[in-house]
Amino acid sequence: MSGVEVKPGRRVVGSDLARHDAIEKVAGRTVYAADFALPGMLHARLKRSDYAHAKLTRVDTTAAEALDGVVAVYTAADVPRNTVWVDVPGQTLEVGALKARSNVLADGVVRYHGEPIALVAAESDDAALAALDAIEVDYEPLPVVDDAERALDPEAPQIHESGNLLAHWELEEGDAEAGIASAAAVVEDEYRTQFIDHAYLEPEAGVSWRDTDGVITIRAATQVVEHFRDVARILDLPDNKVRLITPYVGGGFGGKEDMTVEPYLGIVVALTGRPARMVWSRQESLQARQNRHAVRMRYRTGADADGRLVAMDVDILSDGGAYALLSALVLLYSTTCAAGPYRCPNVRIRARTVYTNHTPCSAMRGFGGMQVALGYEGQMDRLAAELGVDPLELRRRNFVERGDTLPIGQPLETTVELPALIEAVTERLEPPPEPSAPRRAVGRGFACNLQPYGRCVWLNDWSSAWIGFELDGTLVIRIAVPDIGGGQASSLIQIASEVLGVAPERITIHIGDSALNPLTGTTTATRQLYMSGNAVLKAARDLREQLAGVAAELLEVEPEQVEFGAEGVSVAGGERSLEFRELLAACASVDVSWHVHATYRAPKGVPWQADESWRGRVFPDFTYGCHAADVEVDLDSGQTRVLRYVAGHDVGQTINPQSVEGQIEGGVAMGLGYALSERLVFDEAQNLTGSFAQYLIPTAVEVPEIDTVVLESGEGMGPFNARGIGEPPIGPPAPAVAAAIRDAIGARLTELPFTPERVAAAVRAREEDADAEG
Amino acid sequence: MTVRFTLNGEPQRCEVPPHWTLLRMLRDAAGHTDAKHGCGEGVCGACAVFLDGIAVNSCSVLAPQVEGATVETVGGLDRDGDLHPLQAELVASGGVQCGFCTPGMVISGIEAVRLGAAGSEAEIRHSLAGNLCRCTGYGKIVAAVGAYRDGEATGVDGDGVRTTDGAPGAAPAPEVGIGP
Amino acid sequence: MYPRPFEYVRAETVDEATEALASAGGEARAIAGGQSLVPMMSLGLASPDVLVDIGPLPLAGSERANGSLALGALTRHRELERSDELAEQVPLAAEAARYIGNPRVRNRGTLGGSLSHADPASELGAVALAYGGEVVIAGAEGERRVAIDDFFEGFFATAVGSGELLTRVELELPPPGTGHGFCEIANRADDFATAAAAVLVTVHDGGACAEARLALAGVADRPLRCEPAERLCRGETLEGEVLDAIARAVVETAEPEDDAFVSADYRGRAAAVCAIRALGDAARRAREGQE
Repeated sequence: MSGVEVKPGRRVVGSDLARHDAIEKVAGRTVYAADFALPGMLHARLKRSDYAHAKLTRVDTTAAEALDGVVAVYTAADVPRNTVWVDVPGQTLEVGALKARSNVLADGVVRYHGEPIALVAAESDDAALAALDAIEVDYEPLPVVDDAERALDPEAPQIHESGNLLAHWELEEGDAEAGIASAAAVVEDEYRTQFIDHAYLEPEAGVSWRDTDGVITIRAATQVVEHFRDVARILDLPDNKVRLITPYVGGGFGGKEDMTVEPYLGIVVALTGRPARMVWSRQESLQARQNRHAVRMRYRTGADADGRLVAMDVDILSDGGAYALLSALVLLYSTTCAAGPYRCPNVRIRARTVYTNHTPCSAMRGFGGMQVALGYEGQMDRLAAELGVDPLELRRRNFVERGDTLPIGQPLETTVELPALIEAVTERLEPPPEPSAPRRAVGRGFACNLQPYGRCVWLNDWSSAWIGFELDGTLVIRIAVPDIGGGQASSLIQIASEVLGVAPERITIHIGDSALNPLTGTTTATRQLYMSGNAVLKAARDLREQLAGVAAELLEVEPEQVEFGAEGVSVAGGERSLEFRELLAACASVDVSWHVHATYRAPKGVPWQADESWRGRVFPDFTYGCHAADVEVDLDSGQTRVLRYVAGHDVGQTINPQSVEGQIEGGVAMGLGYALSERLVFDEAQNLTGSFAQYLIPTAVEVPEIDTVVLESGEGMGPFNARGIGEPPIGPPAPAVAAAIRDAIGARLTELPFTPERVAAAVRAREEDADAEG
Repeated sequence: MTVRFTLNGEPQRCEVPPHWTLLRMLRDAAGHTDAKHGCGEGVCGACAVFLDGIAVNSCSVLAPQVEGATVETVGGLDRDGDLHPLQAELVASGGVQCGFCTPGMVISGIEAVRLGAAGSEAEIRHSLAGNLCRCTGYGKIVAAVGAYRDGEATGVDGDGVRTTDGAPGAAPAPEVGIGP
Repeated sequence: MYPRPFEYVRAETVDEATEALASAGGEARAIAGGQSLVPMMSLGLASPDVLVDIGPLPLAGSERANGSLALGALTRHRELERSDELAEQVPLAAEAARYIGNPRVRNRGTLGGSLSHADPASELGAVALAYGGEVVIAGAEGERRVAIDDFFEGFFATAVGSGELLTRVELELPPPGTGHGFCEIANRADDFATAAAAVLVTVHDGGACAEARLALAGVADRPLRCEPAERLCRGETLEGEVLDAIARAVVETAEPEDDAFVSADYRGRAAAVCAIRALGDAARRAREGQE
């Protein structure tokens, strides 16, 4: 436990403080990436591949370059260093299997539909669009691999020279076969999940310019300002000659974790010297940006007669698409979480991810830890049915506890409140409603999960923040955190206000700038509240200590007796006080500064080795959840309506309850889309889901009222013992809905999404069976 | 071509080619970026504005079709610096996360209440079905629209009655009710 | 992305519009609400050379005469959905309009535009077929009339020829004792119909069906009337085994094709579910109307 004790009776931590950014956003004043413009800026667009796998026999840009208003058309040969390296910037050299590369612009071969081939810069967007049409590309189609199983066939076309196996993790703890053989009950099933898109409302966008100091500056929607280094590498410039600014981002969910527009904006400004804007259309965002991995999972799970798990054999095969990006890391999350929040002495996990000609897959909320929930929770439900045990009771008998170790060797050091969550969620449920009409059936399902927060421990993660007073007593926080909508910035204001007393409205936070603000790492991996929150907490406490010393002398008390309030410091309930302005002047006179820079370092660990015998800690800690879904299935149409949903998580301590609920409700909605309607559809690796009319994220009609249960165990590794909550809620919805559908119709669905067509087919098969038996 | 229209109460004159949409004209010619380009195909609702008092997807209206019309965007709703009541409810409810869908939600929420299409939670949800949000799960937005409706219903100029355009061919609906 | 450049013509009269459509070099399209056309242009699925804006034309309004209701081509979905007067006269259209797109699409989209666009999944296409009647098409030679049954010719294809413009729709009003039903199955709110059924049922005093009109959307290359099912309805109380026969007739009439998202088989089944449910609603309303 690295949590820090705090006094009871907090000021603003734990309260529903209105977010400062919400006021700007609701008034339409927030300047998002695509809202920014510079005089004389060029408009940049990408020519993308029409083929999923082809040799480029000719890319002729002459006609395009000759068009009015077209300034330049670049191809691979024009890019200083045409390689995007995906690794873990600057924090470790131990990245081995996690290192991946792809091309900035296709070099001779395209490997997925929509891969960028050429980059156009023009005086107007219309001219840029016309240039795209005028670029002549001759393709020599190559055979396509559009199935993960097929990719492993030695006869299959090889997408990269290294072969189609992108990464694999294997481990065995105990003896899985022996365990299965000894089990009183064994259930076995295959589960399939689909490719999905992040579908944030803000398409990828940015503006770039060369600043007066010669620094290439890119203002873009990204979750990772540290990509300035990746752009520098591509432009063959020193790292300190590229600056990345991220304004408030219109949603990320992992889709803006890998670079999107950044390298192209860098290239245009570097090669033309002129400012440039690039905005992706929704259609290219859907068609060509990285997706969530589709996964095929086979589970064999055995339990003894008491319903205690004795063995688990898991085979995971994920489709990584055409380039590696973060696939190996995503697969590591699947491997770590494959057994779920359950104790099991004998576990074998084999996890592989392969190249295909699908759009590359990479980070998305839940990051490999969420797909497996469909598998491990599906197995628990099967096992419960097999043993005649209540599904929640079966889970209770098997939950991990503090002190346990996950099969990969991950120790669990904080409390696991899953039994309490089950109880709290169950209490919120009402008796299932009667079906609303004939030929409707109602069902209820539960699912539990675990999801790590924070990055892998061997990545030596750190966050830093600067906090300082202005002379008028207002406070400034400087931290390069990208705020992607989760309240990343406003939570930090709340933490600083808690410690220093300054009212939140008197605090300004400068975020998302790699050059002017202390780096704090990526807004990914449910790490930002945990990491940046700890950095700001540390900075605020350091600053408080600094000022308290000076105040104590002036007020003639011990430093611990100095109280920090909205306007200044005081003692003994305000009997004697100093305004911040007075205190700061006093600090100046004794050479005590009124600003600090602090760094928080995450726990470290031994790097994973490509060795089946490796065991150890992968993540700092986990967040646990239990969800319940009531659904009504239309037995004729197969339409599934979620009637009611309860989602519970232990968040350790809430910083802003509304933001916590927002994360849970948003995660559930996204999870319900995953469960019921969302999928990217490919035909021979051609992405057919090129519009928002085809890619069906849930509307307000499909999402029910979501009842959130926020449990505060007081244990977590974030500030004030908070746990991360960004990703965890995405895991349980699909298995909870699967269980609820099973409860309603008596048939088990194992392939996502549970479309009306699939549900109707399952109902029909069930009814035909019943007729045959009757 | 020249398109003349009224934008948030001010006369506007934009030189744009006819193939530009209203959204593109607002953002790239008039310099008003408060309507967002989320999909460009009339599905996500982030570009919603009032056109002659009626909510439209500005990505699905061509610039020349706006000649002589009145356009109101979310940025024109505040009065003397105060947020419109629905805007205030959205902030208070926590219905704003990334904020990209928010301008469209505000427009749709106002119209739903004005048309009496926000009577129940289910009605609000149907009225917002063309406004996609990926962050919030909608609940806090639906609650904000409900609170705004309740506030309007108790106001002097309560607007929560069913209005229609009257007989086809009649003049468009009256100027949009943008709060007291 | 964005619509690509085109020549824009603003028509003030029907003659100006048809002249502009006829004289255009290249593909010319009329634009009214633009709620299908502009998104299709943005998606690169349509790139007309000339757009004739018929928004200013005096083609709104409704008029009742001789057992039919004439609706101007520029009648907006919003009016069908929200006008009490229209809801009373053509309640099936009012109910179906709620399923079109989202509120803002309905605010701007028009009846004439929807029918001329002839999306196979068009709710109003099915509604028009269920009512029956005629459409009025203007051209260089003046006006001509086409039976609604003959209007839809194929995939996004209608009887409106080049240089012509649909100006009016005359829906046959059913006799008293008629009830309506509309049912749609889609994968999500604001999604195109996987299948939809628009139904009018007229009942005898005894409650049996005297006449039925049943049209489908989403299950062929065009909106489709299902006359075999209509025949099966006549004289029946629309309960029990006849419903199975009607469902079979719907499946047999439908001509769905597999696509990447939905199988033909499911579309056919979904159409049958919609038809049976819409018939049930229509018959119930018809009987309630008689009580």
